[in-house]
Amino acid sequence: MFEAIAFYLFATLITVMFTITVMTSQALYALTAMAAGMIFISAFFFILGADFLGAIQIIVYTGAVMAIYAFGMMFFDTTRNVIEKRSNPRFVIVLGAFAAVLVVFIVLAPIVTTNLEAHYPIDLAVGNTQAIGMVLFTKYLVPFELAAIMLLVAMIAGIVLAGKKMDKSLTLMAEEEIALMHASSVSETLEEGAH
Amino acid sequence: MDMAFIIETIVKIVVILLVFSALAGLGTYFERKVLAFMQRRLGPMHVGPFGLLQVAADGIKLFTKEDIIPQNVVKPIFKIAPVITAATAFMASAAIPFWPQFTAFGYTVHPIVADVNIGILYVLGVMAIGLYGPLLGGMASANKFSLISAARSAAVFISYEVISGLSLLAPLMMVGSLSLVDINNYQAGGIGNWIVWSQPVAFILFWIAAFAETGRTPFHLVANDHEIIDGFGTEYSGMRWGLFFIGEYANMFFISFVIAIIFLGGFGDGTIAGAFQLLLKVAFFFFFFLWTRAAWPDVRPDQLMWLCWKVLMPIAVINVVITGLVMMF
Amino acid sequence: MHSEPLNDRNVSEQSPYYYVDIEEYPTTGWDKFKQVVKRTFRGELFVGLWVVMRELVKFNIHTVKYPLEKLPIGPRYRAVHKLLRLWESGYERCIGCGLCEKICISDCIRMDTKIDENSRKEVTEYSINLGRCIFCGYCAEVCPELAIVHGQRYENGSEQRSHFVIKDDMLTPLDFLTSGQQTEYPGFGSINPNESVTKTPLAY
Repeated sequence: MFEAIAFYLFATLITVMFTITVMTSQALYALTAMAAGMIFISAFFFILGADFLGAIQIIVYTGAVMAIYAFGMMFFDTTRNVIEKRSNPRFVIVLGAFAAVLVVFIVLAPIVTTNLEAHYPIDLAVGNTQAIGMVLFTKYLVPFELAAIMLLVAMIAGIVLAGKKMDKSLTLMAEEEIALMHASSVSETLEEGAH
Repeated sequence: MDMAFIIETIVKIVVILLVFSALAGLGTYFERKVLAFMQRRLGPMHVGPFGLLQVAADGIKLFTKEDIIPQNVVKPIFKIAPVITAATAFMASAAIPFWPQFTAFGYTVHPIVADVNIGILYVLGVMAIGLYGPLLGGMASANKFSLISAARSAAVFISYEVISGLSLLAPLMMVGSLSLVDINNYQAGGIGNWIVWSQPVAFILFWIAAFAETGRTPFHLVANDHEIIDGFGTEYSGMRWGLFFIGEYANMFFISFVIAIIFLGGFGDGTIAGAFQLLLKVAFFFFFFLWTRAAWPDVRPDQLMWLCWKVLMPIAVINVVITGLVMMF
Repeated sequence: MHSEPLNDRNVSEQSPYYYVDIEEYPTTGWDKFKQVVKRTFRGELFVGLWVVMRELVKFNIHTVKYPLEKLPIGPRYRAVHKLLRLWESGYERCIGCGLCEKICISDCIRMDTKIDENSRKEVTEYSINLGRCIFCGYCAEVCPELAIVHGQRYENGSEQRSHFVIKDDMLTPLDFLTSGQQTEYPGFGSINPNESVTKTPLAY
């Protein structure tokens, strides 16, 4: 009974939270609602006995990804409402509904005919964390490592993109040097444009 | 689920809430006294014996102060931010074994709210959510100092979570379990078995990260009084500000428990002597938070980031690799 | 003191001024790393910890518990004004000349006088607006009779500013005078209580 109550409670909460995320025009509401929704999703993992995944869900999505979003939000004045420009609202609604139906179809299509069955049922003798480790490093080793390499590539690319001219300190440079640097970068872009 | 378990859990939650709310209040008293003695002052003296009732006076002041909500803030977010800080601090305590199990009146009590088998991961995760208190509070405040503080808190928390996670990885590899009770039992053999002897580097790194995650003095950038007023707390008043305060001090206590349990043997074999040793260890770590506040200056934000990504993180990774190699061969 | 050599502000062999030896600010990453390692392992952090711990253990508290203990203040401290009386007769020293009112640069002294039955000038009203007074001390300096002086009373908490500055509050009460509690300004030009400031005669 507790599980059923918890499931419906958290299902409602998640739906409400993500609806707020989509519908609101206030960036902070969207941010907070999405972070809360991510935490509520982890509740499902805990209900299913997948403690490790639940904790990872909280740490990765709420602790890291949403915090990065929040960092991005700081470029805007979050205390004001966002004024959205909708040139053709009917088109957006139709497209959105189509996308939603498509997602439901994609998820349901493989399982609508067959009953769901657990490929890796919970083995009480082996802990949840160990079971995930077993699966990750045997059957899914290649996708796991590929994902790791992709993240590494993304990290290096991010460092390279953001790290240009990081060896120069604007506070330690004289005014003339800064002006010279700006001038040279402008001429560089002009040359690139000419090519 | 039988009724006794539910009642026991609720009682434990209430006890933890009351004890640590009171300890957070007393923590401010200890902090003021210790800082005062280290600076040749007397600290609070006049309210009650040795100023002990100063805590109560401050509490009454905070509770009865007018709760000002400025005009341009995003009101619901502004109101909920301090609650997030306090709530996550106390949620983190759910997986911490505060005391070895003991038998009272023929009933065995486990002084841990939820003995999940991923205890330390849960504590880290919930402390990671604690970031949203300063972050949302600062962003909703319509104040530039608060916004700077929110940016700093996001940067510091995300960066130092990497350090705390990586530094814990090495001891966890040795123990082979994420449960704090298992980690404690691994070191039950006495001082020689403490993880701090086999993982001194991880111990230091986690300790440094603990300072960053609780925002205490060498890394007190999130609400650095002399640069950004009170940071995210600038626009708050009354009990909402008080909740930030309680959250910070409760966090200090909980992270002290975590350090003591993971690296310094926790409550050992579970005897009464071991339990009191745990309290002594926690008291030392809490005292150290205050000690450094009297002794050390703050670092700059860029220095903090530099320290995190260019010094501590490589050391943590090397530590993990060396631990793995040693365990393999 | 060392005031003579300190007048020469140039850095040289003779003068006590010298350049503080400041290390070059590290520019390359390796230098910064070396600086951090040096600072970490040379134990500067532990020196800080030791210093504050030493103070905690020595428990050498320097706090003055203010309302209970007070630090002595200098004899020439310029706090709220006092009007003094003549030692031998108990008359007010003030002759109503009005010099203090004239010299007051913040224009806060106000006095009213009349000619009394002995055809001496008598001060009927004397007030100092403490909201304007800057405690410069000119009034006390200019007073030819040493009648207005600065007292030692610096605790001015009250419901009304005027509680300190009407004539009755500033004037030494007669019983104070008879019990010898009226103090004299001990600086230059002051009198010894055993001598006397006598009443200025009307005619020689």
